[in-house]
Amino acid sequence: MLHKVLEIRNLTATAYVLRIERKKVSFKAGQCFNLGLKNSGVNREYSIYSGENDSCLEFLVKEIKEGIVSPSLRQVTLGEEINLHGPYGSFVIDPIKIKQVKFYFICTGTGIAPFHSFIRSHPNLDYQIINGIRSLNERYDYDEYHPLKITTCISREKWAGFHGRLTAYLPEIPIDTKSIFYICGNQKMIQEAYVILRKKKVSGNHIFTEAFF
Amino acid sequence: MKIAFSYPPIINSDGQKAMVSQNRNVQFFMKPTYLLPIIQGQAATWLRDMGYNVFWDDGNSQLKTFDCWYLDLIEASPDVIIFESTTPVMKFYWNIVNKIKSDLPHCTVIMTGYHSMRKPQETLRRSYADVVLRSNHIDFVLQKLIPYIDENSQWRENCPIEGLVIRIDENNFHDTGNFKQIETLDLSPDVDRDLVQWKNYAYENGNFLQTPGTYATSVVRDCMFGKCSFCRYNGPDLTFSMRSVQKSLDEYQKLIEDYGAREIFDDSGVWYRGAEAREFAQGIIDRGLNKKDCYFGFNTRFGYLEEDTIALLAKANFRFVLVGLEAADEETLNRLNKGYGPKDSEQNLKLYTKYGLFPHLTIMVGYFWQTREQLNTTIDTVKRFMFEGLARTLQVTICTPIDFTPYHQECIDQKMLLTNDYDDFDMSKLIVKTPIPHNDYYDAIRNIYGIAFHPKFIFKQIQFLFKFKKRDWQFLFTYGIRAIRRVRQHIFNLTKQQKNKVIK
Ligand SMILES: Cc1cc2nc3c(=O)[nH]c(=O)nc-3n(C[C@H](O)[C@H](O)[C@H](O)COP(=O)(O)OP(=O)(O)OC[C@H]3O[C@@H](n4cnc5c(N)ncnc54)[C@H](O)[C@@H]3O)c2cc1C
Ligand code: SF4
Repeated sequence: MLHKVLEIRNLTATAYVLRIERKKVSFKAGQCFNLGLKNSGVNREYSIYSGENDSCLEFLVKEIKEGIVSPSLRQVTLGEEINLHGPYGSFVIDPIKIKQVKFYFICTGTGIAPFHSFIRSHPNLDYQIINGIRSLNERYDYDEYHPLKITTCISREKWAGFHGRLTAYLPEIPIDTKSIFYICGNQKMIQEAYVILRKKKVSGNHIFTEAFF
Repeated sequence: MKIAFSYPPIINSDGQKAMVSQNRNVQFFMKPTYLLPIIQGQAATWLRDMGYNVFWDDGNSQLKTFDCWYLDLIEASPDVIIFESTTPVMKFYWNIVNKIKSDLPHCTVIMTGYHSMRKPQETLRRSYADVVLRSNHIDFVLQKLIPYIDENSQWRENCPIEGLVIRIDENNFHDTGNFKQIETLDLSPDVDRDLVQWKNYAYENGNFLQTPGTYATSVVRDCMFGKCSFCRYNGPDLTFSMRSVQKSLDEYQKLIEDYGAREIFDDSGVWYRGAEAREFAQGIIDRGLNKKDCYFGFNTRFGYLEEDTIALLAKANFRFVLVGLEAADEETLNRLNKGYGPKDSEQNLKLYTKYGLFPHLTIMVGYFWQTREQLNTTIDTVKRFMFEGLARTLQVTICTPIDFTPYHQECIDQKMLLTNDYDDFDMSKLIVKTPIPHNDYYDAIRNIYGIAFHPKFIFKQIQFLFKFKKRDWQFLFTYGIRAIRRVRQHIFNLTKQQKNKVIK
């Protein structure tokens, strides 16, 4: 399906939010879509960034300089149409659990995208984000999260908060094993975070993962 | 401890053998393709490296009769047997497990495969199997489980390893929870080619343009896309994992230089894309492996490869690209969650063939909603692609819901299934209600296979041969014979089906 690009909001030199028209697309927060340039025949998966009730669809994209789709989507002129397929996937929240448990959202880089969508869609969610990034400017749309509900681990820049990788922070904190854990980002981080959580006696049935690369 | 990785020859009343391994949909053929089960091969290698006495017991590729396979297995008397099974052969497996358990009561039988993984309790109730694996990461689970069994007499009750359902007694099972861990694939070893007797799989395989060919240790476990509704690589508990490019390149080098492989196929659901695909192709070129008369091939999906990557792959001597063209109409592609539109396939195929890759189309018909118009769109599109030289070979199958994929579940929920007998799920006939008669889908399959004998197509193939870098007539002849034999086997199955056992 073709959707018009409404806005490209640059966040950093390599990250942007792509806003496109929604048309009649319905989705569950956390699902992903395939996006690509019109008539290019090439596409990639992107997790939804906007909420279930928002009027447009938004995606948080990291531009990979040597990549194909992520740089080309940034070059699209406003009003131009791009190809969208989806939604897909089961990286979603069970609505019954929302009132019952706390959610931990563990992510690196643009892996925060599906969690942004969760939070916009379910305002009463009891959540804690643990976000691993390299530098301060990668705190994408930071104001949209409750300041006490997001912990940032910055690995390549000294700052007032935790300096180091997310996987160095995670073992240090107390964790309620009844909570539900969603992990999103690169495979290596997911694998390490999974092992840490299992060591903390979190059941594998309480851990959900989505790997980007 | 003696451990057998076993594949029994499963032969039907027509004397056809089932192709079971490598997570494939089971089909019965007179001359089947012997597929090397990669993850099992990695598990066997890993356990052997840990000091266990592992033996590779593939009765199919070793060309044994059932009786011979069974007697050999009982004589070998392993402590553990590992089986892989899927929906249409579940009943066979339950029987064979019970037979083994009565002949070798102390042997521990471990069931793997996507059917039992989705319904572990069923297998434990219907057979005397001891353990069911709830994950496709057989290598990672077994390298923890086998030592645990070896060292703990109370392993059934106490086993803490995730992803298992273990029999405690006749009615009680110990479920250790979902296996969700993404593993660093590089930790699992390359398949030891001598252990699995790789030459048994090196010739009879339609995916090999030249032989001896072999399957590489897969670069992606499960599928990076993983959304297609009919596919096993789709589920909330599955997240893909990827091998490092350099480790795979090392294996390719070894397969070519030490084993003399002339074709290497990677059977990952979907192979690398983007930067990793380019790095791999460049690595092949840098190591000079593109000059060693060896072809490379893989599975991909439309939408993943763009021109620069395709050009580089062709330069690196990639040829065989297997790609699903499950339908050619928008509605079906959307319902199947394919993630691309009808135009994308043509665009991609044009690029593949522009650079000399050999696209092999895997087509399906017989979705429970598929109208005559949709079916005709598929037939017409495939014909056009073949006549225009946009694809070189193809295979058509009946879409059969299996292993509790989302499509299978949809068929159950919408009461579209015509049978609950697992034996009927062998892809030889339609087992769902459809808007047009079943025979029309069978005719469509015959019609599509008929393309192979159409003068226009034969002319296109000959024209292509003159453009082909390697003018090896013998190669095309052998490959052509194999392709025609495959077509005949499919048509035999359909004819048999139409004569015998249409489910109404
Ligand atoms: C289910 C799923 C959801 C995804 N959601 C998002 C999303 O919301 N936002 C997003 O930016 N990407 C997301 N991705 C990644 C995205 O699909 C592409 O892989 C990425 O945009 C690179 O594509 P490309 O064509 O530009 O580069 P390619 O040429 O395909 O590859 C470039 C390289 O970049 C690496 N890479 C891929 N994604 C990232 C990333 N996010 N950060 C750093 N390196 C990366 C790849 O491993 C590869 O080596 C998702 C992937 C999956 C499988
Ligand atoms: S792209 Fe292929 S392997 Fe992946 S989910 Fe779809 S059908 Fe399965």
